Amino acid sequence: MGELFARMRRSPQGLLGMILVATMLVIAITGPWIAPYDPETFAPLLRYKPPTFEHWMGTDQYGRDILSRLLVGARSTVLMAMLASALGTLAGALIGTTSAYLGGRADEAIMRTIDAVMSIPSLLMALLIVTLLGKSSVNALFAIGIAFTPGMARVTRSVALAVRKQDYVSAAIARGESARYIVWREMLPNVVAPIIVEMTIRVAFAVMLFATLSFLGLGAQPPKPEWGLMVSESRKYMGQSPWMILWPSLSIATVAIGFNLLGDGLRDALNPRT
Amino acid sequence: MSILSVDDYSLDYAVPAGLRRALDGVSLHIDRGEVLGLVGESGSGKTSLAWAIMRYLPESAKESGRIALGSQPLTGATPGEIAAIRGKRIGMVFQDPGTSLNPTLTLGAQLSEVLVLHRGLAKKEAETEGEALLARVGLRNPAAMMRRYPHEASGGEKQRVVIATAFACQPELILFDEPTTALDVITARQILDLFAELQEETHVASLYISHDLAVVSAIANRVAVIHRGHIVETGPIGDVFAKPRDSYTKMLLEAVPRPGHRIVATQPDAQSAPLLAADRIGVTYGRKSFVSSLLGRAQERFAGNREVSLTIRPGEILGIVGESGSGKSTLAKALTGLNPFTGEIRFGGRAIANLRAMDEAYRRDVQIIFQNPDSSLNPRQRVREILSRPLALYGETKGGKTRDVIAGLLEQVRLPAEFADRFPHQLSGGEKQRVAIARAFASNPKLVICDEITSSLDVSVQAAVIALLVELQRIHGTSYLFITHDLNLVRQIAHRIAVMYRGALVELIDVSRLPEGAVNGYTRELLAAVPAPLSARA
Amino acid sequence: MSPAYLLKRLALIGYTLFVVSLLVFGITQILPADAATMLLGENATPAALAAVREKLGLNDPAWLQYWHWLSGVLQGDFGTSTRTGQPVGPTMFTALGRSLQLALLAILLTLSLALPLGIGGAVNRGKAADLGVSITSYIGVSIPEFVSATLLILVLADWLQWLPATGYVPLSENFGRGIEHLVLPVLTVSIIMIAHISRMVRSELVDVLHTDYIRAARLKGLPPRTVLFRHALRNALLPTITIVALDVGYLLGGVIVVEEIFALPGLGRQLIVAIQTRDLPSIQAGALIMASTYAIANFIADLAYAWLDKRIQYG
Repeated sequence: MGELFARMRRSPQGLLGMILVATMLVIAITGPWIAPYDPETFAPLLRYKPPTFEHWMGTDQYGRDILSRLLVGARSTVLMAMLASALGTLAGALIGTTSAYLGGRADEAIMRTIDAVMSIPSLLMALLIVTLLGKSSVNALFAIGIAFTPGMARVTRSVALAVRKQDYVSAAIARGESARYIVWREMLPNVVAPIIVEMTIRVAFAVMLFATLSFLGLGAQPPKPEWGLMVSESRKYMGQSPWMILWPSLSIATVAIGFNLLGDGLRDALNPRT
Repeated sequence: MSILSVDDYSLDYAVPAGLRRALDGVSLHIDRGEVLGLVGESGSGKTSLAWAIMRYLPESAKESGRIALGSQPLTGATPGEIAAIRGKRIGMVFQDPGTSLNPTLTLGAQLSEVLVLHRGLAKKEAETEGEALLARVGLRNPAAMMRRYPHEASGGEKQRVVIATAFACQPELILFDEPTTALDVITARQILDLFAELQEETHVASLYISHDLAVVSAIANRVAVIHRGHIVETGPIGDVFAKPRDSYTKMLLEAVPRPGHRIVATQPDAQSAPLLAADRIGVTYGRKSFVSSLLGRAQERFAGNREVSLTIRPGEILGIVGESGSGKSTLAKALTGLNPFTGEIRFGGRAIANLRAMDEAYRRDVQIIFQNPDSSLNPRQRVREILSRPLALYGETKGGKTRDVIAGLLEQVRLPAEFADRFPHQLSGGEKQRVAIARAFASNPKLVICDEITSSLDVSVQAAVIALLVELQRIHGTSYLFITHDLNLVRQIAHRIAVMYRGALVELIDVSRLPEGAVNGYTRELLAAVPAPLSARA
Repeated sequence: MSPAYLLKRLALIGYTLFVVSLLVFGITQILPADAATMLLGENATPAALAAVREKLGLNDPAWLQYWHWLSGVLQGDFGTSTRTGQPVGPTMFTALGRSLQLALLAILLTLSLALPLGIGGAVNRGKAADLGVSITSYIGVSIPEFVSATLLILVLADWLQWLPATGYVPLSENFGRGIEHLVLPVLTVSIIMIAHISRMVRSELVDVLHTDYIRAARLKGLPPRTVLFRHALRNALLPTITIVALDVGYLLGGVIVVEEIFALPGLGRQLIVAIQTRDLPSIQAGALIMASTYAIANFIADLAYAWLDKRIQYG
């Protein structure tokens, strides 16, 4: 593990990605405790304030402190996005590995079906599922997780197939190793690394998707301080205070960039041959 | 005046750790009509010299010394001068025609464009001239070949096109970078003959780079031996190969496989029952395509092995030779349960009819080593874990601790015990292959199948690995199924040789009866095509 | 391209559309909304509700309902909107037309910017300009459409007053004003695609420029422009077709968001309204049409790729 961090530090993407993501994670976890104000307290006299000493990022249309809302909302955005990615990756990995293991006709049938499912654009799929389940953060999480599953299944399958072709797997089969050993000790360690890279990059997409769903009113519901929701609500008040829209937008973009960078850095660091 | 003169030329690459010297004080020259062979192993710098001559060096390169083409200095030349020289006064033929031709342009287009560029021909004239050139290099239907794409031509055909392109502009100098390495033996021979013909005819000065001394001895006038960036010896080919002065040259010459020089002293017991008997082994590839069956098309199932039968006696080394696609690896995989097969295997008296019948006892006694050491060792496992698997599976610890047994295995293949803690990427190609050998011998097998295990190694490394194998055979009395495409090598170590062609076994012959005793036409063709090692050029 | 290959691809797209229809129907059919209540309102009598349910076939088993719906669709009948009472088909297809306008303009803009950016980046690899473009595209890929839309409206519509913020004028009515209203939406939806595709093109081209055959071309003495345009680009741009086709998926998602923000009467807007009003037939039709468009776009890209790439074994 320590070796991994050392390698990550070597590339600019890895370093920057780690810093950004680590910061975001800390904020996501400690948000509610370090927020200077209660994110839901109205303060009608302090509406639309620009950044001041008391309110580092200003206030919104109800006088709520934007910084506090961001800090508390980080949970929804960041953690939810990570969970959704993990969900999609797990489900997808299961399907993909099984398909690769089965091979032949079964594999082809499964993959053609996966391709067909992927004809439904991710946002549309998420919209349909949220419509089915009801509007809430948790349902948005499931929706995104399900929307990610076919893509991750494809990636897992192609990685698993590539690993399966390697001579060291053939050597294991020729030795008479059990299927369990081959999958767990020979294949999986070589499959996991590219999957983790892919998953990290997907988190960036999940963040954006999650915020979009909330923006459309189908994810987190008011008065929750979810970042996409904050942007949506602030649109009407752009004239009064551009800060209301600026800070959450910047935060969303920063998290997405952070995870993209982290994914790229991980890709280089996890390569065993360099 | 020499066509090519290299005077005290040195080349360094700037790497994070400092400067890495690729070439050190290299001096050589090539006159008109001369072929200079440049012989070296991987990492010797021979390819760097080619790039230096073509002025195709990265920005991190630092040079000193002088390279000149006739009276025109190349080092220090302007980009304009270089552009005028490349392709026109210096040509180049690359190693792998499969990757050095643009897959999205026709062969004709890639040939004509140099004619248009350097000889100022109009497009139509260039096409006509191109066809004539293709005919000159021995292609049978030049007009059709002009319109083909690279993937529609064979390796030999592609290389002829590349050669035609290099000769097209009548350059003064042509660099050949291992042009036959990626081709099969018979095609390689044809290309060598073609090269000799063209070179005689045009008197072009040629720098022929190769790791293969046998090939170089067949076509070069003079030879320069390069080792770690230094030219250690140079001179007329007859002199250098007959009376080498430098120790590296001597070592290299020793390492080259020579059929007359037998390495294996043991003989299998002629009376004993066969250890393994393969009876009409057949392997087919390919699945029935649903659409094809819908359209009523005939199924194309590719035959990997057609009814191959052979036997191996205890203590015998059976060589299997053939070109790629001949089915030798397919057979190896069938024997180790990696390919489903028809037919029967009898091992030590027991009948093995299919994969399921291959139990632990069989697998312990029959081991396989693969060609590519980079992919046959799991990159995420340390050597310790790699070697511990056969011990765990077959319980060979014999009461000693695993650690000690592994140290013993490593010692047996002449590797230090500390290597147990290393990952494969921390080892060289030869070292990785030794680990693979140690892994195979961990279970004390009766038969080890070696599937082209030295094909990707340097000649000197190959010699060391072969020596190791021979030694292990002497100690343990193991039988080998030694698969290779190198006829000279197999004649040094095998007791009998099986020749495979297009999935079938075409000849099985005692090594002592070669070469005159070969009956099959293909075998004779193969024997004729292999460069007779180190005979001076006539 | 052999007939066997064509046959195979056609069979595949047939299967794809079938699976899509199944999924769309399946997901929406589980919706807890009761179409009868939606139609007649909350205060309808149980008898009236039962009658309507019977008429709408809501008591049939699921597969039968699917069959009715599918056979209707195949004949062009997409049902009646529970919100407007109008036939769904014509509404959706008109809306699709407008969305396609937006999408096609976006693709045009994307290609005309992404290709030069990507090629320039690859050729000038490592230099300051390349780094700048790289960083910008990194950021571009990380900004969701609703953020960039909002920012663009803020800057170009509210502050600078160059363009209208929302609204739609059909191009056939008034070309100039129609275009004005489309500029911001097209720009918004293109940003991510330009960033993504330029990065892909750059990466493909960098790989191609390192191949043996490009090295061989250079060493033949061919001038750099010839090497780039005659030898390199055709190899690098072929995979771009596939990538653009895949990005149409993002594009369609983006279209949904953008139509919502800019109040454009396209397919995306129809979908959102349908979802918010639980208009089941409209949701089904809209989703089916959108997914089918994506599937067909990919199908066309597959054929184009196969036709252009000589190496694919057909059949």
